[in-house]
Amino acid sequence: MLEVNRRAFLKGAALLSAATMVPASFALADAAQEKIKLQIFAANSLEKAMPKVQELFVAANPNVEFADTQFKASGDLVEQMIAGAEVDILITASKGTMDKAEENKLIDPATRLKMFNNDLVIVRAVDADITIDSIDEVADPDITSIAIGDAATVPAGKYANQSLYSVGLYTGSDGDNGEYDPAIADKINLADKVGTAASWVSTGDCQIGFVYSSDVYRYNGIEVAFVCPEDSHKAISYPGAVSAKSKNAEIAAEFLDFCMNDPDALEVWAEYGFEVAEEEAPKAAYADGTYKGTIKIDNADVAIAIEIKDGKVSNVTLG
Amino acid sequence: MNTCLNTHSRHISFVTAAAAVIVFALALCFFGMSHQSFASTVEDGMQLVEGSAVNDEAGIGINDFKRMNKGTARSYNGTSFGYRFPLNDPEAFAVIATSKEIIVFIPQQYADECEITLDNTAKTNAFFELVAELDAQFSSGGTKISKLDVPITYSIGQDTVTTDIAQYKRDVEIGDGHTYITITRTDGAQDKDDIVCCDTGHLVKTAAVQVEAIPTFLENVQAFFAKIDYRPLWVSLKTSATALVVVFILGLLSAWKSMGVKSRWKGIVDTIFTIPMVLPPTVCGFLLLLLFGNSTPFGSWLLEHGIKLVFSWPATVLAAIVVAFPLMYRTARGAFEALDSNMLDAARTLGWSERRIFYRLMIPLAWPSIAAGTVLAFARAMGEFGATLFCAGNYAGITQTMPIAIYFSWMGGQTDVALFWVGVVILISFIVILVINVYSAHAQRYRKGELTRKERRILKESGGTTTSIDDQSFIEVGKEDIQQFVGNATNTSGGAA
Repeated sequence: MLEVNRRAFLKGAALLSAATMVPASFALADAAQEKIKLQIFAANSLEKAMPKVQELFVAANPNVEFADTQFKASGDLVEQMIAGAEVDILITASKGTMDKAEENKLIDPATRLKMFNNDLVIVRAVDADITIDSIDEVADPDITSIAIGDAATVPAGKYANQSLYSVGLYTGSDGDNGEYDPAIADKINLADKVGTAASWVSTGDCQIGFVYSSDVYRYNGIEVAFVCPEDSHKAISYPGAVSAKSKNAEIAAEFLDFCMNDPDALEVWAEYGFEVAEEEAPKAAYADGTYKGTIKIDNADVAIAIEIKDGKVSNVTLG
Repeated sequence: MNTCLNTHSRHISFVTAAAAVIVFALALCFFGMSHQSFASTVEDGMQLVEGSAVNDEAGIGINDFKRMNKGTARSYNGTSFGYRFPLNDPEAFAVIATSKEIIVFIPQQYADECEITLDNTAKTNAFFELVAELDAQFSSGGTKISKLDVPITYSIGQDTVTTDIAQYKRDVEIGDGHTYITITRTDGAQDKDDIVCCDTGHLVKTAAVQVEAIPTFLENVQAFFAKIDYRPLWVSLKTSATALVVVFILGLLSAWKSMGVKSRWKGIVDTIFTIPMVLPPTVCGFLLLLLFGNSTPFGSWLLEHGIKLVFSWPATVLAAIVVAFPLMYRTARGAFEALDSNMLDAARTLGWSERRIFYRLMIPLAWPSIAAGTVLAFARAMGEFGATLFCAGNYAGITQTMPIAIYFSWMGGQTDVALFWVGVVILISFIVILVINVYSAHAQRYRKGELTRKERRILKESGGTTTSIDDQSFIEVGKEDIQQFVGNATNTSGGAA
């Protein structure tokens, strides 16, 4: 009796595994089709808007398809790239995280560009009976729980801490090098990404949260209670770049350009509250300093010294 | 007999409860999905499509409403156009809201059609109210224009409005044929300061307002199930099945082999095999990531030789194997150790090889435990989250298993999808537990001396009236007697089996 059961069991297991293996090999065959596949790693806040822009890009470029875009905290994305994940495009929510990617030679610096601006806001559940007129009001006794991204990996958390520092509720000016003031320390709930902080507020698990203004548009049930002044934290910008190891660097760069200039893409960003960044001044070809050399003027060698300051030629001395 | 019935009815009530939970969860998903229509004159059974609104009294309506929350101050080819919003449809009206004033642009043609003029304040107000109504729907937490208490300037037919604060233009061509709404400050402030949003849409007569049939409950259900990405179920099954095959073989072999290890090493070997069960899955995941990732010499050596494990499907399987293996190993070993060593020795005296003893004696004898361990290992592999997320990530259709799908759907604000997967996981878990219960109940019955189903059938065929035996008759008759009886019956009926 048991003998038979065991055989049937083993047979079932073998069938099941065979059944799973066959379509798996089909899936591999599918992947072999000649479509360019782009893998994007994007800041968590872009989770709703980015897929729509990807759709627009695929409509315009049918030979391109996108792998499952990863939306995590920017710090996590960079760690995942360091760990060996294959990526074509990286878009983070802070300059610092992209700098780290650049230091680790994960991205091609020539393709790096500033993509979006965002605002830091304090949100509350829709129609909640909470008013906030300045950042230091988060220390009020009626506020019992505050959602903030973990500054170690979540740029939004870092910006939030910087703005708390501006009113003396956090001890580190960088936003990730200090402690919360005892007045708020017990109320802080650290989230693994900015979306988590937003959803805690929308579900009522936290009363208020520090998120981007764009997060308000992608989560139902939260609204802006207060916009943190721009001078209370470092400017929030989203840099984007093509990965150093991308096999489709050309089309990846094309996608970044599409994000910045296609009117339909602009409409998506506008709807989701991402302000497309202004064009940056071209990077200085030379670092600041004084460059000396000789040039020939009327067949005579003349010493020349060029001073560069803030990326621009500030002074030229001859002789 | 009674216990047997009870167990069955309990199973049935469990299944009913599970079904009720799922139905309830699904019902929750649909709650609040239906659109609310605000215009009473929209015909029965119809509703306005999203982005449409109507005011029957004023005879106007709006289609294709859009709210843009942010524009851009980006210059084009070195030329600055102030702050701009894309206007992909040049026929659209535009409402620009700042915290100081609101500018309403209506193209001449559509104003004429709807008989809106600057003098007719009732009409312009009605139009603005419609815009405000849609704006409130689309604001999703941003500042609603209805809450702004600022002066409103209407412009019909004119595409430029200049105020003390800024110059607003509705239809500016920038680049190759694309049009934008631009705002250039005239008061010296930054172009982007104070801008709340920009609303666009089509002004139409009431007859042209887009309506659709209100979806029935069934259509809502269909739409819900159509939008779900079922790949996580597939990935989960594929992963757990593959992991199970490996875990089954490895678990049995290592349980068998470790029994022969000298006692001094036995403890250490046992610890190494069991530790993934005790460690938090994140630790396992982290170690796997370190081992196979790019950040360690071994991992980068593997990557250089084309073995890419992390953030791929094999990593999902690996994580599942690591966490499920101890369950298989421990159950199998416990069962092997509980076997009567005299029996194994007896087999040895008969000249059986160790391998034969393992296949023909140990596995069959320990089978109930092994089967239960297999099911548990399968469930554990299926429920794996921490280690998988760590070393395999969350790639839909590749490494996104059901538990990961639940977490990320909830995080992404798709609570209904998360609930759906919760329902599926609960259902699968119920089936797994049911299988274990039925199986162990079967095994227990055999041990208790109750008749197996086969024995009952033979008994019945040979004219017996009872299908089981109660405790008293067990004492009086005994299993051997019955089996003897059954044996006789088999002989007389010519081998019913």
